[in-house]
Amino acid sequence: MTGWRAAAVLCLAAGTAHAPLYAQAADALTWLRKIQDATRNLSYSGTFVYQHGGRSETSRITRLATGDIERLEVLDGMPRELVRTRDTVRCYLPESKVVKVERRTADRTFPALLPEQLSSLASNYDISLGEVRRVGGFECQAVVLAPKDNLRYGYRLYADTASGMLVRAVTVDAAGKQIEQFMFTQLDIGHVTADMVRPRHATSSWRVEDAATTPTRLTGWSLSADLPGFHKVIELTRRMGESKPVGQLVYSDGLAAVSVFIEPLAVRGEPARTGLASLGAIHIYTREVANHMVTVVGEAPAASVQRFANAVQYQRP
Amino acid sequence: MNESISALMDGELEGRAADEALELVRRDGMAADTWRLYHLVSDAMHEQPLLSEGFTRRVSARLAAEPTVLAPGRLPGRTPAQRFAYAAAASVAAVGLVGWLAFTPQRPVEVPVAKADPVAPPALRAVSLPEAANDYLLAHQGFSPRVSLQGMAPYVRTVAERPDEPSK
Repeated sequence: MTGWRAAAVLCLAAGTAHAPLYAQAADALTWLRKIQDATRNLSYSGTFVYQHGGRSETSRITRLATGDIERLEVLDGMPRELVRTRDTVRCYLPESKVVKVERRTADRTFPALLPEQLSSLASNYDISLGEVRRVGGFECQAVVLAPKDNLRYGYRLYADTASGMLVRAVTVDAAGKQIEQFMFTQLDIGHVTADMVRPRHATSSWRVEDAATTPTRLTGWSLSADLPGFHKVIELTRRMGESKPVGQLVYSDGLAAVSVFIEPLAVRGEPARTGLASLGAIHIYTREVANHMVTVVGEAPAASVQRFANAVQYQRP
Repeated sequence: MNESISALMDGELEGRAADEALELVRRDGMAADTWRLYHLVSDAMHEQPLLSEGFTRRVSARLAAEPTVLAPGRLPGRTPAQRFAYAAAASVAAVGLVGWLAFTPQRPVEVPVAKADPVAPPALRAVSLPEAANDYLLAHQGFSPRVSLQGMAPYVRTVAERPDEPSK
């Protein structure tokens, strides 16, 4: 214990402001930026596997950097295709001939790790560099995000040392047990043409479900207690499926996000089923509040999602 | 001297050794300087805003001016100054521990969270995914900062099974 402090004093004396351990955390943050830049600036195509709870699903992902178009095709189970063009995500469901449309609002494009979010990340996670190892044929640098409390999961990210592309991402719980992972089994950087990101379906006769998201204040609704480290990102109304407007509040700790959906009970025409469901690292908790169905969807441990749901309150304005 | 002050900050001293170290900090100007320097380093490492010049002196003066309310169960044989020093040392030790955990990158996930209360309270009723789960997941995913690290990949987190009955 004495050693590190003495070393830190030496560093200060030598004019460097940071101790070696601090420098390591800074290196890890730099790697996160590198991953983000690669995700944003590279064209790539690849096949990846999503594993959770003993299941695995294979998908193809293709991104064309010029034009900022990205296409995701889920190859297992019910056919689904998602195409994002700059600020709009379209989800094509060929079996039901439905296309769901999510448009970003002008004040909010896709989330990016801005410097202030990186510092918020650093206050909720211990961020460090892990080992360098080969993953899917790429030499990868591991970046480890260990949660500082049990309100969030931990992450191990493996990024290609050459390009910064995220090749593998593992989510772990507080005990270190793997909850889910994404991993490229094949990845080709570059060589993407406009043809490869074009939606496959002719949708002229399909039903269009536009989410019509509108940022707003959800009057009367709030959380009675905040979950440490999570702050509100956005508050909006939207449509879901064919339902009447649904309220959505989104909270984030810099990496994990939790959405609170609020809809009048009559909308779905069925009583709210209180309880918890899960899918990989995502938990969904439903409960009834003031004749509304509150559904919390979050990439966080069950207890955190439940705490969010239990904190939702309505006060007549 | 520096070793014992560092150990004091880390809460590694007990009994007599702690008393001696505290006494040293109180009486010896150089020891007091070392104590302050170590805190400065600690604050810099943890990016805590640095306290203004003379903060300690002003707080001490204010504390001395505070009226004493009640002191039930006064510890025998310790002066108020010692008690204050112990409390200060304890809180500093706590900061030291948090800082140590925060900057120990070698053993990431198994830190003390593992010992905290289990993630799912036992009373939780498990239900199957709501019928509209995919709508919720789609609506949620776009706001996850993970998208900035992984692009569209997190969008695969939808329910893969066909619903038993077509939804409409």
